[in-house]
Order: sequence, then structure tokens, then C-alpha cells
Amino acid sequence: MTAAHPGIHPAPLGGRPAAPGARLWRVVRLNVVNKWTVIWIPAMIMFFIGLVNWLIWLIIWTASAPADRADAMEGTQWSGAAFYIFVYMLVVAIQIVSATFPFALGYSVTRRDFALGSGITFLLLAAGYAVGFTALSAIEEWTNGWGLGGHLFTSVYFADESIGGRLFMVFSAMLFFFAVGAFAAALFMRWRMNGILAAGAAFALLLVGTIALITFTQSWPAVGEWFVVSGPIGVTAWLLLPTVLAAVAGYAVLGRATPRS
Amino acid sequence: MSAAPAPTSIAPAVQVTGLTKRFGSFTAIDDVSLRIESGRIHGLLGRNGAGKTTLMQLITGQDFATQGDIRVFGEKPTENARVLQNICFIKESQRYPEDFQPKHVLRSAPWFFENWDADFAAQLVEEFRLPLNRRIKKLSRGQLSAVGVIVGLASRAPLTFFDEPYLGLDAVARQLFYDRLLEDFAEHPRTVVLSTHLIDEVSNLLERVVVIDQGRILMDEDADTLRTSATTVVGPRGAVEAFVRGREVLHRDGLGGLSSVTVAGIGPADRAEAAASGLELAPVSLQQLIVRKTGVREPDATETGIEQSA
Repeated sequence: MTAAHPGIHPAPLGGRPAAPGARLWRVVRLNVVNKWTVIWIPAMIMFFIGLVNWLIWLIIWTASAPADRADAMEGTQWSGAAFYIFVYMLVVAIQIVSATFPFALGYSVTRRDFALGSGITFLLLAAGYAVGFTALSAIEEWTNGWGLGGHLFTSVYFADESIGGRLFMVFSAMLFFFAVGAFAAALFMRWRMNGILAAGAAFALLLVGTIALITFTQSWPAVGEWFVVSGPIGVTAWLLLPTVLAAVAGYAVLGRATPRS
Repeated sequence: MSAAPAPTSIAPAVQVTGLTKRFGSFTAIDDVSLRIESGRIHGLLGRNGAGKTTLMQLITGQDFATQGDIRVFGEKPTENARVLQNICFIKESQRYPEDFQPKHVLRSAPWFFENWDADFAAQLVEEFRLPLNRRIKKLSRGQLSAVGVIVGLASRAPLTFFDEPYLGLDAVARQLFYDRLLEDFAEHPRTVVLSTHLIDEVSNLLERVVVIDQGRILMDEDADTLRTSATTVVGPRGAVEAFVRGREVLHRDGLGGLSSVTVAGIGPADRAEAAASGLELAPVSLQQLIVRKTGVREPDATETGIEQSA
């Protein structure tokens, strides 16, 4: 074999290369080809959770004396019912990297195109859900808590913010969960269980170290104050830092990942 | 799109040089050099765990080489979108997204394969009786294989790999696959690599045979050369022994006074000589030939009488 001179054989390529934008867009379309998974099922779950919450409110409403009603319903502002959607998106991100990625390689997609295309997918989904979430919060206020003064989309962290602030919070939080899920799945794709265990161990040590540091320097009041001063928007903005870190690290890790054979 | 002229150059579609792939201490591919010619159907044959899938994963850029050089259409395949868009490789062990049904595969495939023929795909779906609206997880092994076969055929990628495409397919479906592959190949020539165990079933399709074992290439020959490279001589023991003396014997069988010996390289003169001795000559199937040439014969080498003539 004298293949040391590959230039001697200029073999023809079938067709022109697809434009970079088109190559990323088709990854986006692949990630959401089953609309049930990314849109309809989470929407249906949300609707169901909303329905159950509303029925519970109805029970409280009927059981409370008219004078106590407003007070009783006030408690629902601590609702975390809408939080599931973020966890759901974490799982979506994990599945995209652990299952759609090996499949996309079968379609001869490059890792780079897959990672960037999936990043765009996450941005678009986060934007879409931010708009939906914020719209529902507006409706909730407009209908006075779905007619019963309840809170589902206007929980305490959220209620005082402007429309723009709400959009930003949902968008950023959702991106955070996408990035963490994608990063964890990328670790698994690259190093299998060892990657997850090592990253988990590193994260645990980091967490314990941080707690120790705060405790020894007696900074807990300062930490609490920081949360209060930053406010929901500020805290969410800081969330962008780990989000970006996870996204960049995930991109790097996926760049050398190989699917199981 | 499907009318696009096929590559007619004699340049190889794939050129592999000194390729090695290790997983820890296990060497899956061991210093392999190989050319895959454009516009032909190649058989990549070998036992389980021989390295067939790993080799194809390396060529398609799904895995990274430990050492060595791979050129696909003259370029490195890994992370090379320009090269990869010409390749279709749905593995036998292909993972599909959790929530996918065959319809999602067929809907998305045209975005990635510019030569995709939707009508052909629909025809194949019908012929293979593939349920489109069932979760891929719930498909039978044969139906799962059909998904890969349909994508591999309808994508009409200039370089198409079929990794054990027949797993779980019944005889009718396998024949259907062979027929459709040949028909479509005739109309749209391309480079096809078929990895399989069922050597005899595909032997008529193959133009080139590559046999891999324990990560090394054992054989890389034209199928026609290979088919005529050995002949089985049948007749009375004495006459057969006299005839095969001094020839390379690949296999020996005997029953009573009859003997059946497979020998390499029989020319026209030899045929005449055999006929004169009243011996019968029978062709050797590709599968037998490969088993004979690559099989485990060390333990009983004396028993089967391995002789080397030169």
C-alpha cells in the first residue's frame, strides 16, 4: 500500500457541501422531529398539573369561610408546581445527547454540527417556553388567579417582575437545565459511567468545600444578604455563568465522544 | 437529484493505511491497510467480534483511530462534513431516540441525504411491512433491521455501509433486500460495503471480498478470483490422492473408498487431467472457501492433512 500520497487520487465527491447554516438547522429539526416529546406532552402535563391545582384551590375555596379565602389562597404563591417543566427539559437535553447524538452520527452529522445545532435547539425551546410561561402568568393575573386567586405561574419569586423580567428568568433557568443535562450526558457519551462518577465526585467536593469556606469565614449572613440584594433577576443572571460553563464544557467533551457500538 | 452521475473515477472511495484502534489493552483493529474501490459492492466478512463494526465506525468518522490514516474520497472523514454527507452508515446496533417511530426516521432522513428517494422508501416500507407508527423500541429485531435497510437503500449515499443488515429478517425479506440492492445499484451505481455472516446468500452480490479476523485483514480479493481459486475433487481415494499430490490442499473429507479434497488453483490443463482420471470437479462455495482459508484449523491440522505445495 502506498497510500502516503493521498493527493494522487482526487476522488469525486457526491454533490456540493451543504451550507453551514443548513447543516445546523437540520439538526434542530431532527431534535424536534417528534413534537410530542418536546411540546405536546410537557404542555399536557402542565395542563393536568394546572387542573389538579385548580381543583385543590376549589376545595380550599369552598371549605374556607368567605373572610379567610383571600388569606388561604395567598399560600399558593409558594407553589412549585410549574417547576417540573424545568426538570422535564433537563431530561430532554439528556435524551438529545445520549440518543439523538448517536443517531445523528448514523446520518453522518459531525459532532460539531450536532453540538451547535442542539445548542440552537435549546435556545429556541427555552425562548418558546419563556414566552408561553410568561403569557400564562399574565393570564393568571388577568383572571385573578384563574378565578380563585391561586398562583401557578405567578409564584412568589416571579410575581413582582415585569414581563421582560419574567421572560428573562424562565429563559435563563431553562437554559441552565438544558446545559446541565446536555453536559452530564456528554460526559457519559465520552467516558461512560466513569465520567459521570468523576464529575459527580468533583462537584460534591466543590460543594462541600464551598460550604466549609462559607462556614469557616462565617459568611452565611452575607450569602443570604446577597440573595436578597440580587433579587430573583440577579440570581438568575448569575445562573448564566454555570450555564455558559456547562455549555462550553459540553461542547468540548462531545467533540471527542463516540457512541457505543 | 437521483439522476446525478455516479462517480466514475477509478480512485478509491476509501483508502486505509496502517490503521490501528485500541480500546484500553484490547486491539480491535490491528495495523489494517485497505482500499475500497468506487462503484462496487464489497463484502466485509468475519466472525463476531472480528472488528467489522469498529472498522466501519472508523471509516465513517464515528470513532477515532489510535494510529494510522483513513482517507474517504481523498480526505480525512472525522468531523469532515463535506465527506460525511456522502456516507450512510446505520449500524446494526444503531441507537434511536427513545421516542422515535419509523415515521420520524423517514421524515428526517431526507434532510441529511441529498439523494434520498421518498417514493423508493415508501415502496420499501410496504414491501418490508414496516409499521410506521410503532415505537422503535417495540419493533421486532427484523423490523428494526428493515429500518436500517430502508434508510441505507433510499438514501442512495455515494458510500453506503450495511452492517449485518439481515439480522432477524426472514428469508423473504432478505431476498427482497438483495433484489432491491442489486436493482437499485444497477440504476444508481455507488460504493457499497456489506458486512455479513451469511456469506453464501450474498456471494452473488459481491464483487470484492474482504475478510477480517481479530482486527487483521485475512483476505482482500476479487470475488471472481476467489471463486475460481479452489476446487473440490471427488473420486476414488487413490485417484484423488494421486491427483492432489503436490498441490495446496485446503480441506479433506473421506467416506469409505471415496475421497473429497479441496485444492487451490486448478487450471484448464488440470481439469483435463482430472477428467481423464475419472475425477469429478465441483466448485467451492464462497462460504466454504472462506471457512477453509480462515477457519480454525491449527488443532486438527494433521488430521485434515494440511499440505503446502510451495
